[in-house]
Amino acid sequence: MLLDYDRLGGWRWGLVGVGTVVMLFLLLPIVFIAALSFGDSQWLVFPPPGWTMQWYQQLLTDPVWVNALLTSAKVGVIVTVLSVVLGLLAALGLARSRFFGKSALQAFFLTPMVLPVVVLAVALYAFFLKLGLTGTLTGFVIGHLIIALPFSIITIGNSLQSFDSALEDAAMICGASPLEVKWRVTLPAIRLGMFAAAIFSFLISWDEVVLSIFMASPTLQTLPVLIWSTLRQDLTPVIASASTLLVAFTVVLMLLASFLKKGSRQ
Amino acid sequence: MPTALSSVAVPARRRFRLSAQTRGIKLMLPVLLLLLVFFLVPVLTLLLRSIMEPTPGLQNYAELLGSQTYVRVFFNTFMVAGVVTLITLLVGFPTAWLLAILPPRWSRLLFAVLLLSMWTNLLARTYAWMVLLQQTGLVNRVLLGLGVIDQPLTLVNNLIGVTIGMTYIMLPFLVLPLHATLRAIDPSTLRAAAVCGASRWQSLRLVLLPLALPGIASGALMVFVMSLGYYVTPALLGGTSYMMLAELIAQLVQSLLNWGLAGAAAFVLLVVTLGLYAVQLRYLGAGRSGMGGR
Repeated sequence: MLLDYDRLGGWRWGLVGVGTVVMLFLLLPIVFIAALSFGDSQWLVFPPPGWTMQWYQQLLTDPVWVNALLTSAKVGVIVTVLSVVLGLLAALGLARSRFFGKSALQAFFLTPMVLPVVVLAVALYAFFLKLGLTGTLTGFVIGHLIIALPFSIITIGNSLQSFDSALEDAAMICGASPLEVKWRVTLPAIRLGMFAAAIFSFLISWDEVVLSIFMASPTLQTLPVLIWSTLRQDLTPVIASASTLLVAFTVVLMLLASFLKKGSRQ
Repeated sequence: MPTALSSVAVPARRRFRLSAQTRGIKLMLPVLLLLLVFFLVPVLTLLLRSIMEPTPGLQNYAELLGSQTYVRVFFNTFMVAGVVTLITLLVGFPTAWLLAILPPRWSRLLFAVLLLSMWTNLLARTYAWMVLLQQTGLVNRVLLGLGVIDQPLTLVNNLIGVTIGMTYIMLPFLVLPLHATLRAIDPSTLRAAAVCGASRWQSLRLVLLPLALPGIASGALMVFVMSLGYYVTPALLGGTSYMMLAELIAQLVQSLLNWGLAGAAAFVLLVVTLGLYAVQLRYLGAGRSGMGGR
């Protein structure tokens, strides 16, 4: 009876109790930050004595914050494009070939996902110091790309798996060139997987902190780096407003992703 | 007619398949090259420096394991990871269970909250806890107001803060995969247990927990491994006096420029992480693996 919700008896309330507490535990800090970002207390008193938009105003008029925001967006877009294109190539390669050591290669492609990011960050930092890539846009893009790629490869790989490759053969037999087959048969069939990969890649780049701390210079930093260095000095409400914007943005992307998922089921 | 068609089609198919096989390998080249140059080479170089700097030998490892300070860091790291895993399990199992059996309307809500929390920017979540847990923060004020305590507790810049913040971050990583495991269990096995006269506790202990064990073990292992390498949350909530391994590595590079010792610490973290993942793959099947510690 333990897996029948209606027949759990008294235990049901125990589970519902834990679930409710967990839900509040997960949700309240996010709501709390959003509320504080509109509060007029410099010292983050809660509930705030009054309401204001001044932290958002400060955030959006300070060139340092605006530049960091723009850098984040720029890096995110470049990483997204590269991650989807390269991830697509790798996923196609993995799906359409058989050779000795393929599973080892696949594991290698996914290693950046399980490796502690701090190890990669420190290693890349040393490497980039030699190449003069620290504090450059290229440095950020390469670092973010390495950890975004595994997600791209997995997501696109999954949608390739559910795609029947006999369709490609059929198009081929009907006289399509290999390029035409890819462009007009394969890509349209896996486009939802590619959208999902794009959203994942963008979010990974957009949220990346550890790598970015090591790649950043005083003149070139992403939004998370700026939040990080500000946080180490004080807990100003400006960070609450920056965090709230980040949360709002994530919610939008999540909704987009769930719409895509619904679309793929139909 | 069908025979004539297939005699034409088969060679064409075969040719296509063969050429596709070699092309498949070519398609992977860009990613392979990128990862070799900007992933494998840098990481191996870092590890190599641990035995080459300042002089060839194992003195970095001797220093790491011989010094009181560094052993303390290892102790903190493993203890926090262990405690976080334990709490996450105790809270996460009932949550995953509930998520698996709730009517769809409510399970969708709980699911959305878990995903929202997981995808909310890590710094935003950590900032929330820094504000909530500070001396004049909401948690202390509520506890004071309720009369539970008569002076504010120190909840940040120590391991309590780190544990709360890490548990908050790890919960979705345990609940989501574990809920999938629980959903895959056939409810009729539990009905059978009840029909055979098992009490609820007996069903839980003898049927549900054993069936869920692979999911519990792989989820717990994943949380433990991710906690070991986490950087951002421990660094912000723990402060410098309660350092964990990832922060030590960063500090050794950023402040002390001691690349040899940093390489050695990175090597230890890497071996433990990849070793535990190998255990997971070998014994628990290819469970859903998460993101490397932030």
